Amino acid sequence: MSEVLEAALRLIVVFAAFLTLPLLVGQLEHKVMAHMQSRMGPMYAGGFHGWAQLVADGVKFAQKEEVVPAAADRTVFRLAPALALIPYFVAMVAIPIGPGLVGRDIDAGIFFVLAVMGVGVIGTLMAGWASANKYSLLGAVRQVSQLMAYELPFVLAAASVAMAAGSLGFTDIVDAWEPWWLIWQLPAAVVFFVAGLAELNRPPFDMPVADAEIIFGPYTEYTGLRFALFLLAEYAGIVLLCFLTSVLFLGGWHGPFVDSWVWTFAKAGVLAFVVVWLRVSYPRMRADQLQKLAWQILIPVALAQLLLTGVVTVAW
Amino acid sequence: MTEERVVSTGDGVVATDMVLNIGPQHPATHGVLRLRLVLDGERIVSAEPVIGYMHRGAEKLFEVRDYRQIIMLANRHDWLSAFSNELGVVLAVERMLGMEVPERAVWARTLLAELNRLLNHLMFLGSYPLEVGAITPVFYAFREREAIQEVMEEISGGRMHFMFNRVGGLKEDLPNGWTNRVRTAMAGVRDRLPQLENLVFGNEIFAARTQGVGVLSKEQVLQYGLSGPIARASGIDMDLRRDEPYLAYGELQDVLRVVTRTEGDCYARFEVLREQVHVSMDLVDACLERLEQLPQGPINQRLPKVLKAPEGYTYAWTENPLGLNGYFLVSHGEKTPHRLKLRSASFNNVQVLGEMLPGQLVADMVSILGSMFFVVGDVDK
Amino acid sequence: MTAVDLPAPRVGPLSTLAPKPVRLVLNWGRRYSLWVFNFGLACCAIEFIATSMSRYDFIRLGVIPFAPSPRQADLMIVSGTVTDKMAPAIKRLYEQMPEPKYVISFGACANCGGPYWDSYSVTKGVDQIIPVDVYVPGCPPRPEALLQGILKLQEKIADENVGARYRPSAKALTRPLVRPT
Repeated sequence: MSEVLEAALRLIVVFAAFLTLPLLVGQLEHKVMAHMQSRMGPMYAGGFHGWAQLVADGVKFAQKEEVVPAAADRTVFRLAPALALIPYFVAMVAIPIGPGLVGRDIDAGIFFVLAVMGVGVIGTLMAGWASANKYSLLGAVRQVSQLMAYELPFVLAAASVAMAAGSLGFTDIVDAWEPWWLIWQLPAAVVFFVAGLAELNRPPFDMPVADAEIIFGPYTEYTGLRFALFLLAEYAGIVLLCFLTSVLFLGGWHGPFVDSWVWTFAKAGVLAFVVVWLRVSYPRMRADQLQKLAWQILIPVALAQLLLTGVVTVAW
Repeated sequence: MTEERVVSTGDGVVATDMVLNIGPQHPATHGVLRLRLVLDGERIVSAEPVIGYMHRGAEKLFEVRDYRQIIMLANRHDWLSAFSNELGVVLAVERMLGMEVPERAVWARTLLAELNRLLNHLMFLGSYPLEVGAITPVFYAFREREAIQEVMEEISGGRMHFMFNRVGGLKEDLPNGWTNRVRTAMAGVRDRLPQLENLVFGNEIFAARTQGVGVLSKEQVLQYGLSGPIARASGIDMDLRRDEPYLAYGELQDVLRVVTRTEGDCYARFEVLREQVHVSMDLVDACLERLEQLPQGPINQRLPKVLKAPEGYTYAWTENPLGLNGYFLVSHGEKTPHRLKLRSASFNNVQVLGEMLPGQLVADMVSILGSMFFVVGDVDK
Repeated sequence: MTAVDLPAPRVGPLSTLAPKPVRLVLNWGRRYSLWVFNFGLACCAIEFIATSMSRYDFIRLGVIPFAPSPRQADLMIVSGTVTDKMAPAIKRLYEQMPEPKYVISFGACANCGGPYWDSYSVTKGVDQIIPVDVYVPGCPPRPEALLQGILKLQEKIADENVGARYRPSAKALTRPLVRPT
């Protein structure tokens, strides 16, 4: 009985984290972007430096009218946000943030998380297709082609570190991690992070939601709470990517004085800052340039890294 | 089918060729320009600019405004280069009247025209990267614009529409110490401009998005009558400031450099803009030096209560930041013109889009559209 | 596409029956999260952009300019001259915005036609086609004026009763008769 209770408690904690961490990342984005552009960002929502800006956004989006285009496929249109959001929650259950602090320790952790993250694109495709809007369709198709190109380097890079640790489980990987892996697995880390950004449609890979070209891509016709859920999905994806990278490649909860979940959060926080920094600094890449980056640069690097990992693992 | 189609209304999906209406309200267009595109997948088969959404009937209104009120209206068609617009009008009237403008006013006008050029070019230096996806350069560009707008506002009262020219000179004399403030502002802009330039020109993605994209040939430029930085980026070596000097440009020939490029792609057009900023800054410094050496004198002429231009016609054209801007003034001796035809630079610059866009990708369309540096009010008047 | 008569917007019973504290929170959310659809038509658009830049920065107030299409926007700032050719597009974009929505008319041209008051092709004021909440005068208005307009709108939203906005009372619909002198 206590097992069920414990599992339920863990799930609740993960759910709470799933709801609050993306908001933190969103607020970070507002503030970091603002200060990099020499302005202040939200200041009044909530009194102290606008900490409640995203909460206000949520409250407002909940009050908006729900609009479904007349020519749209209603059921598919309405279900799309759920399909974009829930996979990230499911993936978060498997990621550990401290020794023993995990929703559910899964043996084939990497495999599970990567598979579930790939499901999220179906939500986008549903949104784009069901919206009965040319721009949405263009965006959805771009998104799918982008994901197909970047899934491979993503998986290859993760496979490299799994091979180095000799296991697919997250806890095992963190336990097997050594500081010199930072250099050994550096190419894989970079490939993983870049490919993850491309999967999340973050700049410079935000071509599917390029608002200068096709308004907002697959999410153009979404209003109110559904739109807010898509935004939440984007930030949840960033949280997931940052935690994944820090657990897989940066050693998770290992740190100078004591091994604790604080280090995981710190590393993920730095990575989130880098994500926002990239948004602020770079223009977006065109479709063919993006594909070229994936197929001609990232995949060869990931393969080379895999080779290196294999050689070193067998030799030592 | 000429039905009005606005962005983001639902519509059926045509199997092969998609007809996509970009605009009239589309974030990538500078205002309300509409492009009717026929797409084949992601490639553009044909493009047609549809204009007229900002047609406010300025030329008709010119006929019922007198020569002071016209300056107010003339400001507003190319709203990024307001001072240069006013200049054309007053130059035309002064030529009809045979008026000689005091030297102080001539130099002050040149200075203000070059400051206006800076404002215009900085705007595009910021907004073009925004269309390609870089969201930060626009903040830096506007920071420089604010520095210059401060000095312009001090002298004329307006941040964007100055209404400072009058027939025969300027409205008021320059405030005490204003030239020092301009110097400080210029020094600040010169100091901070490398930040903006490095952010944009040093970026590989930006270069990949703009080099080799949207090439405009010399023949196209001559056929369509393009002018300004766009034409100069395709190798046309024409600049009214050097070829038919007006105001004080005749004496600034050693400082003035005409910037040209030969590639004619988006990157070249953008580079021309960047260099013209440097040229303008040098011109501003030269004008400031000269202004400070000039003895005290009048800044305008005393005008009669009712100003009537004598019968006749004249054409006065100036090198506006966006291109050649000309006013054809026909007067029947009244206090309002009989006809004031406006030749605006952006009107021609937009027409070439119908020939440039076919064959390009949709993603490149935004790069090309932004690089044509037009202002919709200038297109539609 | 044939024009469809949309039903008049209503608010659900929650908004009208909500007790005061809940309404306070709801108003607070709407007030500090105004996603703006920039309807930049003419010169005033430049001043609008300047207001979103570093020196004036209306993001501080919660006005977020990241709404790429009218579907995600609550606030429409009409900045610039409304021509007769553009008017149907404006009406259409306004109708695409989901309720509750607000409009700020920015600049003399959007308020009443401005310097083009006697032109043959200009709609003399955007309030001829859509309802406006706040008018900001100027040609073009200074960025500070826009900031004040936004503050005024926020005050209006804070005191707002959403139910009353969409179902005005009979009292609000009648006006006192104008007596001939």
